[in-house]
Amino acid sequence: MATELRAEEPSQSVSLRSRPGRASGFDAPRGGRKLARYVLLLAVAFIVLFPIYTTVIAALKPGDQVLQDPLVPGPFTFDVLGDAWTSGRLGRYIFNSLVVAVIVTVCQIVTSVLAAYAFAMLDFPGRNVLFVVFLATLLVPLEATLVVNLQTVDSLGWLNSYQGLAAPFLATAFGVFLMRQVFLQLPPDLRDAARIDGVGHVGFLRHIAVPLVRPTIGALALFAFLGTWNQYLWPNLVVNEADMNTVQSGLRLLANSSLDQPNLVMAGTVIAAIPVAAALLVFQRQLVRGLTAGAVKG
Amino acid sequence: MLAPALVILGIFVLYPLGRAVWLGQQRCNDFGENCQSQGFGQYVDLFRSTEFQNALWVTVKFALLSVPTGLALGVGLAVLADRYLRGIGVFRAIFSSTVATSVAVASLMWLFLLQPSIGALANVGWFQSLFPSVKDPGWLQDPGTALTAVAASSVWAGLGFTFILVTAGLQSIPRELHEAAAVDGAGPIRRFWAITLPMLGPTLLFVLIVLTTRAFQTYGEIDLLTGGGPQPFDSTTTITYFVYGNNSPIRRDIGLQSASAVLLFVVLLVLSLLQLRGIGRRVHYGD
Amino acid sequence: MTPARLPRRSRSPRLRSRSLRSVALVTAAGVFAVACSSGESVLDSGNNNTDATTTGETTDVPASTADTEVTQPTEPSDPQTADAPTTSAIPTTTVAPLAELPDCPTDALDGADGVVEIVFWHGMTNELETALIALTDEYNTSQDRVVVQLQNQTSYDNVADNYISVSDSSRPVLVQLEESRLRSFADSGAVVPAGACLESSGFDTSAFVPRTLTAYQYEGIQWSMPFNVSNPILYYNRSIFEAAGLDPDDPPVSLDEVRAASQAIVDSGAASVGLVLDSGPGSGGGWFLEQWFGRVDEPYADNGNGRIAPATEVLFNSELGVELTTFLQDMIADGLAMTVGDNPGGQDSFLKLADQTAPGAMTIGTSAALGTVIATLGGGLIPGLTEDDFGTGPMPGPGDEPQVQVGGASLWITDGKSDQETAAAWDYVTFLLQAESQSQWAAATGYVPVRTDALDLDPLATTYADDPRFAVAFDQLLSGGDDDLANAPVLGPQREVRGETSRAMASIFNGEDPQTALDAAKQSSDALIANYNERN
Repeated sequence: MATELRAEEPSQSVSLRSRPGRASGFDAPRGGRKLARYVLLLAVAFIVLFPIYTTVIAALKPGDQVLQDPLVPGPFTFDVLGDAWTSGRLGRYIFNSLVVAVIVTVCQIVTSVLAAYAFAMLDFPGRNVLFVVFLATLLVPLEATLVVNLQTVDSLGWLNSYQGLAAPFLATAFGVFLMRQVFLQLPPDLRDAARIDGVGHVGFLRHIAVPLVRPTIGALALFAFLGTWNQYLWPNLVVNEADMNTVQSGLRLLANSSLDQPNLVMAGTVIAAIPVAAALLVFQRQLVRGLTAGAVKG
Repeated sequence: MLAPALVILGIFVLYPLGRAVWLGQQRCNDFGENCQSQGFGQYVDLFRSTEFQNALWVTVKFALLSVPTGLALGVGLAVLADRYLRGIGVFRAIFSSTVATSVAVASLMWLFLLQPSIGALANVGWFQSLFPSVKDPGWLQDPGTALTAVAASSVWAGLGFTFILVTAGLQSIPRELHEAAAVDGAGPIRRFWAITLPMLGPTLLFVLIVLTTRAFQTYGEIDLLTGGGPQPFDSTTTITYFVYGNNSPIRRDIGLQSASAVLLFVVLLVLSLLQLRGIGRRVHYGD
Repeated sequence: MTPARLPRRSRSPRLRSRSLRSVALVTAAGVFAVACSSGESVLDSGNNNTDATTTGETTDVPASTADTEVTQPTEPSDPQTADAPTTSAIPTTTVAPLAELPDCPTDALDGADGVVEIVFWHGMTNELETALIALTDEYNTSQDRVVVQLQNQTSYDNVADNYISVSDSSRPVLVQLEESRLRSFADSGAVVPAGACLESSGFDTSAFVPRTLTAYQYEGIQWSMPFNVSNPILYYNRSIFEAAGLDPDDPPVSLDEVRAASQAIVDSGAASVGLVLDSGPGSGGGWFLEQWFGRVDEPYADNGNGRIAPATEVLFNSELGVELTTFLQDMIADGLAMTVGDNPGGQDSFLKLADQTAPGAMTIGTSAALGTVIATLGGGLIPGLTEDDFGTGPMPGPGDEPQVQVGGASLWITDGKSDQETAAAWDYVTFLLQAESQSQWAAATGYVPVRTDALDLDPLATTYADDPRFAVAFDQLLSGGDDDLANAPVLGPQREVRGETSRAMASIFNGEDPQTALDAAKQSSDALIANYNERN
């Protein structure tokens, strides 16, 4: 994965794959040390990949072969993957996860940008107090609120629904802080110039500020999307109808109801992991930025 | 402009926290009815109870098992891959790959790996004769190893994240520092301790914070791998599993459930305050 | 004792403030101030009954004299005068006559315009789910008034916990609950008693095995309808028996026979271990313990197993309990038995029998696993083992004659739904309880039919005739008495008590002194019961 580094400014970005400037001297080992390093890299790579390897092997084996030489590939069949897709209904669950993650991502961006802009660019009474309130919510762990959130979502009639799965995550203090941080870095002249031109806050935000901080928005989007996609406890609480499972709660369902079919469960696991793996390959730049952007969180 | 975020955070963070604090001093029947106030002493009773103390201790042990290991391995991998070599991109991709696994995916992979009867390792002859305990009783079934096995799965799943962040941190270290040190005759090991590690400080602190917070909120791994067991010691019942897990004795007691959730918040608050203090220092020398 | 003080949560954190450090330290100090363990179970904390000091699952409990220490304020009520009000130890339960409970308008379907859709929450997995889906499809196509939608919650625990955590309106009209939930749901006020439906519909239960009905009666009311009745049976590997010189058609029934058989198996080297045990709450650590007491008609809890009046204490630390667990512990110590631990999915004990390198010869498991075991072996998951390689026998235990209690789950109807939904749910229930349905159900799964006339119908008639493994559970169920008291214990926090016994069994299997472990579990269980009685 050629990952690109944290790049608030494009000029600072460093690509992991091609780093010609470092292709010399002490950090380009030669001869025996080079070989040793390759051996070490291979060994470590093997260990890291090992669980994935056994999973894929098992997912591709028929039921009567899965426990025979679990480390040796073959004989191969794609039937189990097909089974997991149909009987595990993973297509449906992936779709559900996608819908919820998109809802959450879009809403988080909107709520974060709006609130961050207010904190960064507007002056209003109680701003600091409100900011501290926002800050405080950052310290509340999700797990401490879910008991009551379940009751809230239930009383809204939102169990087993996209809105129920998404509702508690439509705004996060993290998003607000992240965006506020970059809004504060915008040159003050920019806003002044816009004001002189008669551009209001909405126009300024839409046409000038947001385009300028697009990389950070991308990072936030990825962060929000991954976070939602990986939710485990909340879907288990609000979903009790099979149709509305997300990938994670659907996998749990598959695992719990197919205890005697390890290859089926592994096939489900492979299918569940593929969309994220694929997305990360495409959005690797945002990934690194999204992860490192978290560094401002605290 | 603030309204949307404020409303959401109010309804889904502040209100539930306040209500949980209120519910935490209630005692209700299994169905959450016939509630009676017990006073806030219930929090103290809960905190001092053997069950909560056990969950807290398990959580701390889990953090101690998983966080330093995860951090060290992440740094090790990143340093290992931070050299110009042909094909290094492939290795980086491999080392980052676990970032694509969710808790459910990673846990199920490890469950298959470690299951004593129908697991992968237990059915590999040479491995099983090398480590008989993988089968009897099984690493997730043995009270002595279960938490470590769960932590291993957790460390593995978090490796990609740590690797990516530390690699990013490594690359922001000016190359000239290393070159100058090398000219002065500092070997790679010395350069690692004298340059790499200090310069990585801010990144490491951040990763440390994230990993610790995650460790304290661990639920999915427990739910899928051990169900809070093995018994008799609730060896893997973390605080979050104590609140939400099927096998928890308070699963059907909304008062104690809420109180435990609030105590989890308090514990994390203490951690967060310590962390924020760390962040302050980090900003100080990072900029 | 340190004056306990909760850390204050209201300090607003200020960024980049030097005071952060001191705030953190003060808060941490506050936490540590209360951090010293009270050594008490939280389940005890709300109880006014201060006699029952409990120590949760800690193992360093001093060898307890629970029997004398936990003196109940009153003697258990006399069985003959069960309704007589007692003192505060036993909550004054309003023994509600059926008339005061929600009624069951079973004829409301006739007035329904259009199809009535109902939701049924169940916990059936693997072959059990397949069979339930088949039955339900059959029901849905057999008539045009009701459509049943199945919602799999994947385990009994999940069914109950999900049901409890949501509001009345989010609950399904029909729900399948493990036998251990009887008292908790009867107390809930959230259900329509099945007795009301029986009364208004006139559904004929004369062909039912009486015990399956009485098992779900509490305080004189039929709360739910038995649907999937199971009990524990012995599963064993026939070829290992043969290799050990044992008769594969004559499995051991008494404890001595189990030990002798295990000895023969281990001595001959036919298998590495004779009996495979587990300590899961739904099996070897809870359910089986109740069954073993029932086998010799010993009470597991006071007040007639909690069936005459609400139980106030459990009695499993009696001589029988100690003897039994000592026997199992000795088996393990002597290398004749082993434990697979918590057995979370209920599969580990079975899989140990199918182990490639060090198999066990026998295990005890629910009869409901039969269908899944056959399907799994038939699917070839375990190399070298086919579905014909294993046999079943009655559950071994104390005493010489097999006898079991009604296990499994029953069907409950939620109160507060529309008349049509209630009627539709009942209609579906009566379909599931038809002789034809029960025949099909029992033959596919290993569950025991709730009615005897199902035995005369195919497929069950053929299955029982051709495959004696299926008939074992039914035969041993009939050996128990019909009356209330011959049935399983009814405890409010029964699931939680099973959690306590599960811990006790695990520690006994690990070598803890049986009396000590059972006494500790009894104390925690009594605390749970007192706690429950106070909360309800």
